[in-house]
Amino acid sequence: MKNSLKNIYDFISDHLYFYRPDLEISGEKYNSTLLFSLLTAILQGKQLIVGEPGLGKTTSAEYICSVFYQIPLGTIWLSEIAGHPEQTEEKIVGRPNLGLLNKGIESVVWSNFVQLPVKIVDEINRLPETKQSIILDGVDRGNWEYLNEMFINDEYCLFATANYQDLGTFTIIAPMLDRFDVMVESKHPGANISYLIGPFYKKDELLRHERYEKELNKLLNSRLPYKTKMERTEKVCEKFGKYLKKKGLKPVSKEERKAIQDQMEKLELDLDANAYLRTLISELSFCYKYGQKRANEKCEEGCHFTGYLCHSIKNCISNRFPISIRVYAQALAWLLGEKQVNIEHIKTVAPYALSHRLQWKEEFVATHEKEVRVDPLPIYLAKVAVDRVLERYGEQRESIKEALAIGYSVSQGEEIALLEGDHPIYWEIKRDLGEL
Amino acid sequence: MKNLFSEFKNFRPKRREIPLDNIITSKEKVMQTLIKSYNKLVEQEAKELVWLVSYHSVIRAYASAEKSIKNMEYGVEDIEEFLFEIEDSSKLPYPIMGLSGIYTAALCNHAKEREIVFDLRNRNITLHLLGYRLPEGKKLLVYGDLGDFTGIGLNGGEIWVEGNTGNWTGAGMKRGKMVIKKNVGRRTGEDMVGGEIYVEGKILGIGNIRYGRVYEKGEIVSL
Repeated sequence: MKNSLKNIYDFISDHLYFYRPDLEISGEKYNSTLLFSLLTAILQGKQLIVGEPGLGKTTSAEYICSVFYQIPLGTIWLSEIAGHPEQTEEKIVGRPNLGLLNKGIESVVWSNFVQLPVKIVDEINRLPETKQSIILDGVDRGNWEYLNEMFINDEYCLFATANYQDLGTFTIIAPMLDRFDVMVESKHPGANISYLIGPFYKKDELLRHERYEKELNKLLNSRLPYKTKMERTEKVCEKFGKYLKKKGLKPVSKEERKAIQDQMEKLELDLDANAYLRTLISELSFCYKYGQKRANEKCEEGCHFTGYLCHSIKNCISNRFPISIRVYAQALAWLLGEKQVNIEHIKTVAPYALSHRLQWKEEFVATHEKEVRVDPLPIYLAKVAVDRVLERYGEQRESIKEALAIGYSVSQGEEIALLEGDHPIYWEIKRDLGEL
Repeated sequence: MKNLFSEFKNFRPKRREIPLDNIITSKEKVMQTLIKSYNKLVEQEAKELVWLVSYHSVIRAYASAEKSIKNMEYGVEDIEEFLFEIEDSSKLPYPIMGLSGIYTAALCNHAKEREIVFDLRNRNITLHLLGYRLPEGKKLLVYGDLGDFTGIGLNGGEIWVEGNTGNWTGAGMKRGKMVIKKNVGRRTGEDMVGGEIYVEGKILGIGNIRYGRVYEKGEIVSL
């Protein structure tokens, strides 16, 4: 199954999405957008893709979704939502069945966006802040509500794209940002690769199939019960999968997708990955003075913990962060054929899971924004932060693990002194054991 | 509720190793060997905790010291550390200064370093017999005072003392050079057969000199 995913990755990189590698893991080079998009598709995650216009943000998501879920590109295009100020709930989620409404029956016609397991919101930051709330719950849980009806997706992944700020964009609200597991940038591939894209302008044809697109559209617009509709949809998708197989792809069936997810979930974090993640979270949530970080509370002048990340950020990291980092690190470890999630997997995923969730203080931004880099500032700052915590963890990894081990013994009733240390993780252990 | 730290249940920390720990351990090992060998010398040579200096007892003690330090790996810092140990009677039960000097002289003569510097200022120690048989090519520089028999039997080496020395300084020296910045005691240069002793302070008394020269404040006094 790993080979199937690698085959998808290679197929897309060879035929559809041209890039420069910008990520190295275990000696192998990857493109962060493509790699994370693949992981998002497997995990049924939520990914925000940012970048300049025309650099493949939407198309990369479309290709991944099409290949991974065996859905023809035309059907995916039909289900996409475009962000713009006039967008309405009726176009995004569903609308009343007007025919039935005339007969006094209230019934909802769900949009293709809601029904399909792959969801793409193009230019999400062109949706005004108030309208972003329409998709908040759906993005988070896959629950879509309209009138008195609810539609629940049992399988779905979501991709949203965003251009950098211009006259037509709005701010993506913090609760929306937090719901994205990862944020990546679709980068310019460089002059030489860009030059080669020209002859491939008809590359979309590879993933088009008019007949299956029509069949799927008919099914999605039918009044069949959801379960039946999805079963029939899956059958059409399987036929499209066979078609893709002839093109050199080895598609992944729904059962295989489930099996892959089960295998990924079973991968445990090794002790270093576990302790490092705790160390990272402690720096992003700890406050000695006020109990935890809060966006409306400022750090005290001359605080003892000035050297840690808690002093460089304004907000507190959410509980969605450890979930995102864990599942993506598990997926990455699985893809690389590892038996456990190690610190390298956590370190690789962390900046992409953090960059959109952190609000940095001006001093931290000012210190780093002019440094030489290849990533957009939020991802770069997150990488700097992750490296710093890794450095601190490296210096005291044995002590931190020992402190956690002692924490276990004390929790079991043993009377031993907790390990003292300067890092917030030691303070958090004390708090959990009621010693502060 | 699940134990928050259950994954760390079986974690046992590795013994932390830092380079300084290894250095300290290795130094401690060398020091223990030096002290052990010194105590053995004291047991052999000092009867009833008394060691009388005589021509034969010095030769014998030096031979024993040389034998006990054979194949031993040490450096000048270890000798300096040993001198600190001599001061601390809790670690060395029988600090007999004559034997300490002989033992230290043997250590200096067989050290890898050509130049050896000791700072004995403000120290509660008076080393006798230091510089015994110091060979050619070696230079001993001492800040502070030394006791009796400094540089006896000097064998081509060079001794600079930024302080005073006691009686019998340079006795029996064969070759080499001694420079004492302050005063020296009686019988200076007794039975010396070669070499030069320069004293920049006062000489309390000159010994019976066969050959070699002794200078006091730049003036030759051994004629």
